[in-house]
Formats: sequence, structure tokens, C-alpha cells
Amino acid sequence: MTKVRPLIAIGILLGCATLPLMITPVGAQQISDRAKQVGMKIKCMCGACDMAAGVCSHPGGTFSGPCQAWALPALREVDGLLAQGRTEQQIIDSFVAQYGSIVYAEPPKSGFSLVAWAMPTVYLVIGAVLVIFVISRWRRRPATEAGPAGSAPKPISPELLERARAQAARETED
Amino acid sequence: MDVFGSFALLLAFVCAVYAFVGGIAAIVTRHPLLVKSTRQAGMATCCLIFFATFSLEYLFFTDNFSIAYVVSHSNRDLSSFYKIAALWSGMEGSLLFWSFLLAIYVLSVLVTYRNKNGELMPYVGVVMAGVQIFFLTLNNFVESPFKALAVPAADGVMNFVARADGNGLNPLLQYPEMVIHPPNLYSGYTGFTIPFAFALGALLARYPGEKWIHLTRKWTMIAWMFQSLGIMLGAHWAYAVLGWGGYWGWDPVENASLLPWLTGTAFLHSVMMQEKRGMMKVWNVWLVFCTFLLCILGTFLTRSGVVSSVHAFARSQTSSWFVGFMGVILLVCFGAYLKNRDYLKSENQLDSVISRESSFLFNNLLFVVACVAVLSGTLFPVFSEWFTGDRISVGAPYFNRVNIPIGLLILFLTGVGPLLAWRKTSTESLKRNFGWPLAIGIASGTIAFGFGFREYFSLVCLILCAFVATTILLEFYRGSKVIRARSGASFAASAIDLTMRNTRRYGGYVVHMGMVFVFIGLAGAAFNRNVQKDMQVGQTMQIGPYTMVMQGMDTKPERNYTGQRMLVEVLRDNKPLMMLYPEKRHFETTEETGTMVAIYSTLKEDLYVVYAGTSPDTQLPVLHAYLNPLVKWIWFGGVTVVFGTLVALLPNRRSVLVLAGAPQPATQPLPHAVPSSAALREGHD
Repeated sequence: MTKVRPLIAIGILLGCATLPLMITPVGAQQISDRAKQVGMKIKCMCGACDMAAGVCSHPGGTFSGPCQAWALPALREVDGLLAQGRTEQQIIDSFVAQYGSIVYAEPPKSGFSLVAWAMPTVYLVIGAVLVIFVISRWRRRPATEAGPAGSAPKPISPELLERARAQAARETED
Repeated sequence: MDVFGSFALLLAFVCAVYAFVGGIAAIVTRHPLLVKSTRQAGMATCCLIFFATFSLEYLFFTDNFSIAYVVSHSNRDLSSFYKIAALWSGMEGSLLFWSFLLAIYVLSVLVTYRNKNGELMPYVGVVMAGVQIFFLTLNNFVESPFKALAVPAADGVMNFVARADGNGLNPLLQYPEMVIHPPNLYSGYTGFTIPFAFALGALLARYPGEKWIHLTRKWTMIAWMFQSLGIMLGAHWAYAVLGWGGYWGWDPVENASLLPWLTGTAFLHSVMMQEKRGMMKVWNVWLVFCTFLLCILGTFLTRSGVVSSVHAFARSQTSSWFVGFMGVILLVCFGAYLKNRDYLKSENQLDSVISRESSFLFNNLLFVVACVAVLSGTLFPVFSEWFTGDRISVGAPYFNRVNIPIGLLILFLTGVGPLLAWRKTSTESLKRNFGWPLAIGIASGTIAFGFGFREYFSLVCLILCAFVATTILLEFYRGSKVIRARSGASFAASAIDLTMRNTRRYGGYVVHMGMVFVFIGLAGAAFNRNVQKDMQVGQTMQIGPYTMVMQGMDTKPERNYTGQRMLVEVLRDNKPLMMLYPEKRHFETTEETGTMVAIYSTLKEDLYVVYAGTSPDTQLPVLHAYLNPLVKWIWFGGVTVVFGTLVALLPNRRSVLVLAGAPQPATQPLPHAVPSSAALREGHD
């Protein structure tokens, strides 16, 4: 009998523990991975953060994880729309229709937003062209031409420069 | 004490104005007494700022709730530890803190060089005083932290009152790292004032040679180290407190801290071109100017609210002041450059495209492109609103797409650059230096691919990490081998000896190794997983090899808040591992809630557990667990970066070192080239 009692107790405890599971199925609140992926393309519109709905933690709020104020209901809506067979683009479009283009987590690849996507490449190309230009210029220029020249004040000779350096070194020993 | 603080600030302003105006007069007249008196005025300015700052801290520690700033940011129950942090938790205090940190730097410079650099220091003093005047203007006349608390009476007259208690400190700031993160970041921002002052001063004075570069090197490195540490601590705070499982969200204020770090890093590399070869003088001067401007821009973005940010701790109407100040700086810099640009002509030519010089050019290109891309992305919502009337968000996915390829290219150059010789690298040298690193990089990639590593960028990142780490280790190995052969000491002792002989070079390698660790950690982000569940007592949740069992809840009343914890038992492969206590803290004074994440961290992965609140549907506590691989490497990398910078700041044990086995060929000066003074002092770098 003494061996049976603990088993009965464990059984009752397990029963109590699993009872709510029958009332509220586990996973009822779970957001699907697909919805989270779509949520990464939608900005949380809670007004307190600037994060994607898929990862919004609503810093300082009472519910961290998908933010209760906006992201969590939005992700549920995404789940619902996915269940209806809507495509990712259709879902994002429906949010844009509702909130405007500010709801995009990243700029869309159309219209003025294309500028945002083009800019880094343009910087890189301009920078690379500049570097190549500088390298070719440096390679062409003999060392003797270096230094102040042309309309600038009188060129400084290496001897004068070295003397100035020696003076600077004396003055600025650290 | 508030009157004392206010008066000290006002007097500091007067002294700074004297240091500025008198400094200009001293430059014109070259009168030694005027030079001395303006220098002393500069020192007095700093001391007065210290007095004012300590006065405000005294008001916090004595709970003086007749001062508006103390009422807004403290309360009686706040611990002494956080009363220190309350100083910079609001706009007025953080601006005073700016002045305070700047004063430490300025005083250090003025004392260190009080009898040196006679031609240059008056210019430097004027520039530093100019920057101090701006911040003291804000401290005194725009955002004074010593304003008495006043409430309007029925007749509209303001009555000065004292409250029984204050509003308390923002809960998000009540975390140990918040006490050290802002001072580090601010020390970075303010520290870049010193290289800026020297660069502008040298340009205005047409100061000969690269001496200003040598003088500012350690100041730049100190500022850069603090900036790095501040960014890293901020990332760790975001990871441990915000409870979203990440450490970098590309928030505008985070981006603002990254911008001067990127240009500062570019400067620390390109400055070697000027030291060794007398090249890139214009570029270096503008990099320093831009770094300082980006520091001011960062402060402006944090305060102005032109871009939305989660860092809404301290906002005010100072934006027009910052815009005006940036405009003045830009005008002065342009003016000085146009007037004296002939002073910045390059002294040497490029001998080969495959050389250290070229690698520095490309390294700088990538850092600057990353900086401009982050800046334009951060400001794009503002631009889009101007041009189209439609505000378009630019979030983390955009910044990741743009910056990951640039970051990987920089990582690649981190390995390549140091192994290329100055002037020209021979084919034999390339083979000798890159054979093993390439082989190990490719082997690592193959193994990772074989183990199912399929994320493209992470795979490339790991290959590059293996490549760069091998290049660095080989550098240490080769140098240590030579010393060991001569001295007979152990390998570790030889490596230390090697490092101490050329701290700058080998300290730099340690910094590079730290960055490799950071990149290893970043590569892990592609494999993050998370799961969330409403939990009842006894219920379990699984993520990776970990099983979490909900054991119950408890309440932990503390002096300033009440903590509610989930008691979570963690099992690994069904064997008990540990207990974790993710927590929600409710701060009664502010009626706000904070999160305390529980983390089980290993080098392989972090089990990151958040008590995510109560589910609105089931009223059950919600457990949110993340499995984040390799995150610890990021923090380890950050510590390594700081350690490497400290090593690089140490003086060399011996001034000249030429190793027979060193990978770089000794450079022969060109007949017409003038060797820089640094090249004369050191064997190689």
C-alpha cells in the first residue's frame, strides 16, 4: 500500500497538471515560424519601438516577446491570413493598405525606396573608382614631384623639411 | 550646493571664453604670458566643470528634491550605485557629463603638453576651448541641471518647492552595465575631440611633419577603445535586459555610436600611411574632422528625436544648437583646409598595387562606405518624408543585408593587410604568408559544410575567421621562433617578449584577433532558434538539447522594486543541469516594468530564457526561450579588443627591432623620398 500511495499522488498531480491542457490546448498562443518570417518584413507599429514585428520585444513593456501592444496581434493576424492561403506579398500588402508604407521593416524595392537599396552600391562604386584613381595617380607621380608645388607657396626642399621635423621633434618630445 | 554648482558652471563658461579669445590673441601676438594665462584658463575651466559635476552628484546623494533634475531622475530608495548613474540619465545631466569627460581629456592634454609643442598648443587650446564653450553654453543657458523645482501657483506665479521624494530612475537604466556603458560611450565621443583639436590646430598652424599624428595617436586609441567598450557594453545590456534575444537592433542611436567608431577605425589604419610614407594627409585630416562631426551628430540624433528610437531616455529642444554647432565646425574645417591645403600634399608615390598602402586604401574605403551606408540608411526615413511625404522605415533587415558583405570584406582585409609589405610585396612573400592561412580557411569551410553548415554568409564568415586567425597566429609564431632561437626562452615568454618589443604592431594583432572572435559570434546568429509557451507548474518546453521544466513562481520584494520570478529547471539530455530564474521587476515609483533575462552561457551556445509576462488569453506565465549559438564569442572578442588596445598603448620595450625571420622584407628608402620621423624611430610597424 505504501508503494502505491506515491504513485497515486503522482497520478493526481499529473492529472491536475494536464487538466488545463485539455481546457487550453498547448500551442494555442504559439505563432508559427512562417508568421514570424513574414513578421520580419513588417515593422512593429506599437509606437514605442522601431523593431520588426517578428522580433519585437517592446522594451520596458509588460510583455516582452512579441509585443502585446501591436506585434502579437499582428502576428496572429498573419497566421490567420496564411491559413486562408494568402501569399506573403498579399499579407504585407494588406498591412501596407492599412498602415501605409511606414509598416515596411525594410524599404520596398520599388519607387523612391529603390534609392535606399542603390545607395550602398553607389557609394562602393564611387569609392572604388576614387581609390583606383588615387592609386593610378600615385603610381604615375615621381617622388620628386611630391610636395607643395605649382601656384602654392615655394616648394619645401627635403633638407628644409627634415630640419623642420627635427625642430618639431625637439619641441614635441613625448 | 546647487548655487555653488550653477556658479561653477557659469565661471567655467567665462574661463572657456577667455581661453578661446585669449588663445587667438596669443596666437596672433605670440606673447608668452598670454599663452600661459590662456592655458591656465583652460585648466581652470576643467576644474570648475569638475566642481559643478560633483555638486550635482552631491545633490543626488543628499536627496535634494528641490532641484528639478534630481526629482525627475532619483528617489530616496534608489541605491547609491544608481545615484551615480542618475547623473547621465536625463538630458541636462548627460550634457554636463559630456562637459565633465571632455574636461578630463582637456586637462590631461594641457597638463601633459604644458611645456612642449610651443608652436602647436595654443591652436589646440583654442579648438578645445571652442568645443567646451558650446557645451558650457548648453549647460548654462539651455539645459541647466541646477534648475530649482518650481510649480505655478493659482495666480500664475512660479513658486519654488521641494518634494518629499523623487520620480525615480528609469528601470531600464537600473542595471549594472548601464552604470558603465554610457560613461564608456561618452568617453569615446568626447575623446575624439582631442585628435580633432590637434588635426585642426596643426592645419591652422601649418605645423611641420607628422608630429601631430604621433601626439594624438594614443589619445585616438584611448577614445577608440572607450567607444568600442561602450558599444560592446550597450550590446550586452540590450541582450541581457531587453529580452528580445538579440544584441544589436540597428536602432538609430546604436547606429549613431557605430558611425564615429567606423571612421575612427579607418583613421587608426590610414594614419600609418602618413607616419610611414607621408601619404594620405588630406584624407587623414578629413577622417578626423568627420569622426568628430559624427560624434556630435550621434549626440544630436540621440537628443533630437528626428529619427524614432528606443533610446528615448533624454530628449530636448537642443537640436537646433547641435545643427548650428555642426555647421560652424564644418565651415571652420573647410576654411582651414582651403587656406592651407598645400600643407597637406603627399610626399611619396605608390610603388606597387600589391602593397600595404593599397590594402589601407581599400580598408578605408570599406570602413567609410559602411559608415555612409549606415548613416544614409538611418536618415532615409527623414529623406523619404522630405521627398515623397511618405516616411519609409529602414529596419534591421536592410542594415544586415547591406553591412554583412561589407563586414566580410573588411574581415578579409584584416587578414591580408598586415601581411603585405610596405611599398611592394613579392610573389614569394605572398606564397609564404598566405599559403597556410588559405589552406586552413578552405579546410575549415569544407569541414563546416560537411557538418551541414549551409548558411552562405555564416559559412564565408567562418572561412574568413579561420584564415585571419591563422595569419595572426603565424605572425606571432614566426616572430617568437626567432626570439626563442636567440634567447632560449619558452615559446610563451618569447611571444610576450615579441609583443613588448613592438606593442603597437602586436597589440594591433590582438585587436584583430578580438574582431575575429566577434565575427565568429556574429556568424552564429544565422542559427538562432526560439520557442515560446504558456507554462503551468510541471509543464516542460524543449529547445535543442535543453528541456525546461516550470517549477513554480516566487516573488522577491526589494527596496526599489518587486521582482516576480519563474523558477525553471533546465535539463540537458534529460539530466538536471541547473535552475534559471527569469524575472520581471515592477518599479513602484515609476509604475514601470523591467525584464531580467536568465542566461546559461557556454562557448557553444547560450540558452536565453525570458519571463515574457502573463498571457492575456490564458493568464498563465509565458516562457520564451532562445538558443543562440556562439554569442559568448562576441563578449570574449570585445574583451580581447580592449586588451589588445591597452597593449598597443604601452611603450615599446626597445625602440628598434629588426627580426631576421620577420615576414616583411626590410624596406629600402627611395633616393628622393624623405623618411618620416616614425620610420626613423621604428624598424617596422
